[in-house]
Amino acid sequence: MAGAMTVFRKELSDDLGSRRYLVLFGLILILSTLSAYQGAQYIRSNTGASFLAIFYGSEYGFSFTTLMVFFGPIIGLSLGFDAINKERTSGSLSVLLCQPIYRDSVINGKFIAATTALSLLVASTIGIMSGVAVSVLGFGPGLAEVSKIVVFALLTAVYLAFWLGLGILFSTVTKKISTSILMTVATWLFFSIVITIVAALLANYIVPIAMPTGPSGGGGGEGLFNTPEFRALMQRRNTIQTDIQMISPAYLYNQAGSAILGITGGGGGFGGGGFTRLGGGANPFQAAGGGDLGKALAIVWPQITALVVGMVICFAASYMLFLRLEIRPEG
Amino acid sequence: MSQPIIQTQELTKHYKEIKALDHLNLTVFEGEIFGFLGPNGAGKTTTLLTLMGLTVPTSGTATVGGYDIVKDSKKVRQIAGMLPEGAGFYEDLTARQNLNYICQLNDIPKLEREKTIKELLDAVGLGERVDMKVEKFSRGMKQRLGIAQVLIKNPKIAFFDEPTIALDPQGVKEIREMLIRLNKEKDLTVFLSSHLLYEVQQTCQRVGIIRAGKLIAADTIENLSERIGGKDKIVVELELSKVDADLIREIKGINGVLSVDQENNKINVHMESDKSKEVSETIMKHGATILLMRPKERSLEEIFMEYYKEGA
Repeated sequence: MAGAMTVFRKELSDDLGSRRYLVLFGLILILSTLSAYQGAQYIRSNTGASFLAIFYGSEYGFSFTTLMVFFGPIIGLSLGFDAINKERTSGSLSVLLCQPIYRDSVINGKFIAATTALSLLVASTIGIMSGVAVSVLGFGPGLAEVSKIVVFALLTAVYLAFWLGLGILFSTVTKKISTSILMTVATWLFFSIVITIVAALLANYIVPIAMPTGPSGGGGGEGLFNTPEFRALMQRRNTIQTDIQMISPAYLYNQAGSAILGITGGGGGFGGGGFTRLGGGANPFQAAGGGDLGKALAIVWPQITALVVGMVICFAASYMLFLRLEIRPEG
Repeated sequence: MSQPIIQTQELTKHYKEIKALDHLNLTVFEGEIFGFLGPNGAGKTTTLLTLMGLTVPTSGTATVGGYDIVKDSKKVRQIAGMLPEGAGFYEDLTARQNLNYICQLNDIPKLEREKTIKELLDAVGLGERVDMKVEKFSRGMKQRLGIAQVLIKNPKIAFFDEPTIALDPQGVKEIREMLIRLNKEKDLTVFLSSHLLYEVQQTCQRVGIIRAGKLIAADTIENLSERIGGKDKIVVELELSKVDADLIREIKGINGVLSVDQENNKINVHMESDKSKEVSETIMKHGATILLMRPKERSLEEIFMEYYKEGA
């Protein structure tokens, strides 16, 4: 355990001082502060809006939740994708493993350090956002809201730790950093863009919309779109799309976060869906004052469990692979 | 002979299809500099990695300093240090920060760390570069930092895997002298793996030769040489002002001379017993001048090639 603590301290100071962490931190901080400001404006113009609206109320198309949905994977993956293979390439791993420590201390220390760095990012961002909102609004969150913020922060940390675990897994299975970077980018693209397209295509394949043949008048079209059959069709397509997107951790996070913050109406998609549904202060149907936290948790328990299990699986897989990693003569 | 400090019994390691170590039996004694020779791919690095517990043997056992390399691999790493091949450091940290990390991993008390680091960096000649980032280090400097890293735990045994590879001649000489000094001053058992015969000959007291994962010979260089060159009792190397066929014939005619081989103005005279006096008289009678005359020792290269031929 002493070995893991030493690795933890070293890795934490590396992470906190690393350029990539500082750049991402800065970016998130600027955007979050702006979104908190927007949220505060939203609360001002909507009497009865909860303080929590600073995390989702937005007029310019983004909020803290959409930021996390979109940037979360990059933040988590970027702290993990070269954790192991960089040390393999540089030769510092074999020097490290020649020291009197158990091998698992290395990967445990690295994972805990990066998780701590991510939690610090989440905690300080949310703290600063709340501070900005309080100074703009002149009032702060109530006790119920504070507890929701805490749970939401924990959820966000778990969500980022999932991506971190995936990044560390990439760095364990690949020898070259260039490969794990590509895997990181591919993963991000898949969950941010490809999955929505695939979901839409599949939905269209399973439930095709019978378009009226031949040129149809506007009136006729509208008539068609208004039939209950058509609405049921659209409903089915939506369900299919939602089900497919359920494999995306970002989607799960979005749903769980929305429920905790008291935004009803189910989750939006990762990219576009997230932006439109959560953003555009148009109509985030938040239950004024927020619903009950316990009830919300009960509803999105599966989503939260899925995120935690995903994180554990990623870490456990990298742990096993790292312990079995053959340090071979060729590196 | 002193106590064995490293012992392997039938140590075997398979990497999927390749047999890297094939029932290796090896003993290294306390306080010696042991040279581990073999061409690339013979299993030198695998032996070191296995002994340090970085990789697990497929079968067989081994002890280092009395500790089992599988069950007590952490304890092995407490008393043994290694400079792995291609050892690296954290490039964006300074030499001091890198060593400080190693100190912490070795549970060196905080108060002693600063002093230990300073002493070691001075000892390896990096005293002036304490606060320089490792990314600015040359290969030779990194290698010396690697030696400092090995010594932090004040080990009983130090493994060096090709420590002078890719270094310039000056660097090679410095590392060699450092190893000899450490062996003498700190009574450190040094296990030097190398394919550079000259380096091993200059540094090591005992040599092991490994081929295809098997130890084919282990002894002092003199003994190895004697065993190979059993039929030639004495060889004298001469350099003369001129050499012709008559002279060679005459030398061959001396009673006790077995054979003579010639290379330009140099000849090697193989003799059953010491006939140097007769040989030199013959040469002078012939009107040639002796420029050089010395008993010839077998170079490690010859020994090495001989053992490889034998085993093949």
